[in-house]
Amino acid sequence: MMEISFSKPGILTTVQDNGRKNYLDQAVPLSGTLDNLSARIANIAIGNHEDVASLEFTYAAAEFRAETDILIAYAGDGAFLIANGLKLPSERPVFLPAGTIIKLINNPEGATTYLSIAGGFDLPEALESKSTYLLGNFGGLDGRSLKTGDRLFNAENISSLSQSIIKSLKGTQISWPSWYIPRSYFLPADRNTIRIFPAEEFTWFNSDSIINFLSKDFSVGLNSNRMGIQISGNKISRRKQDELLSTAVCPGTIQVTGAGEMILLMADCQTTGGYPRIGQVAAVDLPLCAQLKPNDSLRFTEISRDDAEILYIAQEKELEKFKLAIESKF
Amino acid sequence: MSIPHTEQEFKIYALNEQAVTLVFGHEIHGTTASKISNFGRLLNSKPFMGFTNSVPAYTTLSIFYDVLRVMKSDLPGENGFDKVSNYLKSLKSNNQNDVSDASKLITLPVYYGGEYGPDLEEVSGITNFSIEELINLHCAATYKVYMIGFVPGFAYLGGMDERLASPRKLKPRAAVPAGSVGIAGKQTGVYPLETPGGWQIIGQTPLKMFDANRPQPSLLKAGDEVKFQSLSLQEFNDLRR
Repeated sequence: MMEISFSKPGILTTVQDNGRKNYLDQAVPLSGTLDNLSARIANIAIGNHEDVASLEFTYAAAEFRAETDILIAYAGDGAFLIANGLKLPSERPVFLPAGTIIKLINNPEGATTYLSIAGGFDLPEALESKSTYLLGNFGGLDGRSLKTGDRLFNAENISSLSQSIIKSLKGTQISWPSWYIPRSYFLPADRNTIRIFPAEEFTWFNSDSIINFLSKDFSVGLNSNRMGIQISGNKISRRKQDELLSTAVCPGTIQVTGAGEMILLMADCQTTGGYPRIGQVAAVDLPLCAQLKPNDSLRFTEISRDDAEILYIAQEKELEKFKLAIESKF
Repeated sequence: MSIPHTEQEFKIYALNEQAVTLVFGHEIHGTTASKISNFGRLLNSKPFMGFTNSVPAYTTLSIFYDVLRVMKSDLPGENGFDKVSNYLKSLKSNNQNDVSDASKLITLPVYYGGEYGPDLEEVSGITNFSIEELINLHCAATYKVYMIGFVPGFAYLGGMDERLASPRKLKPRAAVPAGSVGIAGKQTGVYPLETPGGWQIIGQTPLKMFDANRPQPSLLKAGDEVKFQSLSLQEFNDLRR
């Protein structure tokens, strides 16, 4: 059994897994991790199934204690984990003996960080997922974000791979191996250029607006959250004034409001929307969007829908190779 | 009565790498809604490998899938989008039972007015109907659920008597209680969760429109029909227990 307890919950800390896929028709949002690449790397690094629930931290300021010996991994750019004055390395398994206090300190690079524990967190599912949906008050830990005093346990049926990793690291000291899953391998060098493919209403916008969309710098607005990122910058104007009847939207959809502002939908977005859509972010670049902070600059560049699919499938195959490589080590 | 089945009549576009949207029409219409629910049922009875969920809307049906599983299937096509598109275009009904109309009629009991319907008198003033006439007109119609969207369990209902149309509140409320029945423009609807809202609130249903603990969390689904039924305060309080 592994247990952690929180003396500081952080700014916004929720339990998230790979989302709630089966209730979209009842307008239950997908939810799940904003940066599914980081969350999956943290899981894979400790022998978990990649889709089990982890903790999503927004920025830093959280603090927790290992009540038992624990095997964890973290990934993402919102925070560094510090214990006994040591900066713990990310993207690899870390063994921490009982009694260790772990602090999250700010990482200026990004916004979200994922913490996984061997076996995943032991919480009941709501609608076939452990993801927290705050507006609906369900999922995760009682449908809410973490608060001071919360105690979380791991699910005890941990994989044989996790057991082997624990055996290799277990002792009286903090320890980790030299190997890791390099997240940067999956990410482009320029993390502020977001690849999109044209959405269905792309041609509803005038040519100047489309040129601006694909060439100008924009910035992340202050009203950004798990539902969506507000994109500030040049206004997007329409050439065609048709009314769009509400239809399905999804994370990555870029809507344009009546005022010409773009909103990039994220994990907790509504399942349907009535604003015309200018673009759809390539799935492989959604993790980049998840790491953007208010006032960060960003640009959009066009790829084809087919290429977006090819990139996604290629990323999944690469992740699979890392999984096999770790398995073959033990 | 037999329905001739030719090629499916829809346009198809990619929503993301793992979803396509089928467009069945361009305006809100009962025939379009029926085509969408029929196709949704047909797909549920004959799913393709990797299919996860479909989301009906006014004129569209969006189909979500796991592209890695689709790529493992032997469907014809170069990529996931082609494979899914080809399958959906070829999907035809061989059996009338596949597309039998499975819509349900659901009655929503409502207590109109008082503290549960604070805008009932304002709507009576706007529409020039007495409170009683207003309630009767709201209960007389049979409404069609076109889609569930906006927040979990929120049903977009068609069929309100247009004489009941009322503009939204000038100042939206910070919190409208779950179950509140409202009118906004030519639409009527029920708030499934406590959320901010600008609709004219005329009553409240004691039923839970959305409950994450039920197997089908949303009380209503696209294609269902709805009637409202007026309750006394006593009946409302009894049902709320």
